Amino acid sequence: MKHKIENKNEHCGNCGSHNAHQYPQKSFCMHRFLQGQTPIVDTLWRCEDWHQSEQECQCIEDAEKGARKRA
Amino acid sequence: MQRKDLLTEPVKHFRINSKLSVNQLIQQFQNSGSFGAGRLAVACDIYEKMARDKDCTIFLGLAGALVPAGMRSLIADLIRGGLINVVVSTGANMVHDSIEALGGHHYKGHWLMDDHVLYRYHVYRIYDVLVPEEDFVNLDYKMTAIYDDIADQSKGKTLSSCDFARELGKRLEDPDSILRAAYESNVPVFLPAVRDSELGYVHFLHSTRRKLAKKPPLLLDAFSDVAEIIGICRKSKKMGMIILGGGVPRNTIQSAALATKSGLDYAVVITMDRAETGGLSGSTLEETVSWGKVKGQASTVTVYGDAMIIFPIMAASLIERLDKNHKRPRPKNMEKLA
Repeated sequence: MKHKIENKNEHCGNCGSHNAHQYPQKSFCMHRFLQGQTPIVDTLWRCEDWHQSEQECQCIEDAEKGARKRA
Repeated sequence: MQRKDLLTEPVKHFRINSKLSVNQLIQQFQNSGSFGAGRLAVACDIYEKMARDKDCTIFLGLAGALVPAGMRSLIADLIRGGLINVVVSTGANMVHDSIEALGGHHYKGHWLMDDHVLYRYHVYRIYDVLVPEEDFVNLDYKMTAIYDDIADQSKGKTLSSCDFARELGKRLEDPDSILRAAYESNVPVFLPAVRDSELGYVHFLHSTRRKLAKKPPLLLDAFSDVAEIIGICRKSKKMGMIILGGGVPRNTIQSAALATKSGLDYAVVITMDRAETGGLSGSTLEETVSWGKVKGQASTVTVYGDAMIIFPIMAASLIERLDKNHKRPRPKNMEKLA
């Protein structure tokens, strides 16, 4: 998680490897899981292996709403 | 035959009152003897005959999304009560059993929900039942660790699907779990199409990770099930099957009965499939006799209806007919397997 890349358009929540984990804040990354890395990531994070998801979901919008509420 | 022989038993009309029990309603169905009510009453009688026959091994074939819809605890209770001796299931039903055993849930939805909305919220629909994606993910995550443990324990030994189901049941602590109840009751659970479910995907995750870690993966041999289930049939003096749905589980049970050249003594099929397409799920039990899978003199009935309605009624009627706290002893052949 320390290599966080700042890009508001590219997050785990719109990456093709993400699944819901603790919706919407946390996502489960199948790519990381297969690589033996920690699979549970912040939905608003991203790593260097980010790739666009084929279909849109609500993860980022809902995670951002949640983040705004907490702030 | 004379004309008067055709008209011996008049249809009796239903009389309903506020104290009618499930089995009393079934008796009324029997008095009618007509259409689906008559078939359901016969199915209840056949299940009672199986249960009272100490030599009968009772096979349950489970196909269709019955566990997500609420059938799980009932099947676990019947296993514990000795009223099911062998389970043959789709992998998917045991996936949903495991989802709940690992803390997940299935939710009431509606068949007219907007599936695009469900997709956007990572929620899956099974007709009118909903499953959150995180429960599948939780299953993948925890089940991969369970596969790792089984692979470590088995030390390269190849398992049958039945061995595999037993190993899963050993590691699931939920008493309402079918796999757990089967493990505790030493009831074999066969999963002939195990790879065609999330359990297959979990194997992909597990084996990919094991490859990276340079460790051998869990090995399953689908063919070894055949000898195991035929072995159970050979040791059974009598065999009965209850089929919920049909599909691969029904064929697995019937083919094993055929292999013993003795055929099933009792058969209840609950399906909504039709015979005309030639598919096994809708095939009539009369047709099954032609193969030798069911004896010509067997007690049989097909009930055309939703297994979610029919089977709980059959079970409730049976439990009412048996003695209070009835626990059916294991058939003698099953004792040898213990």
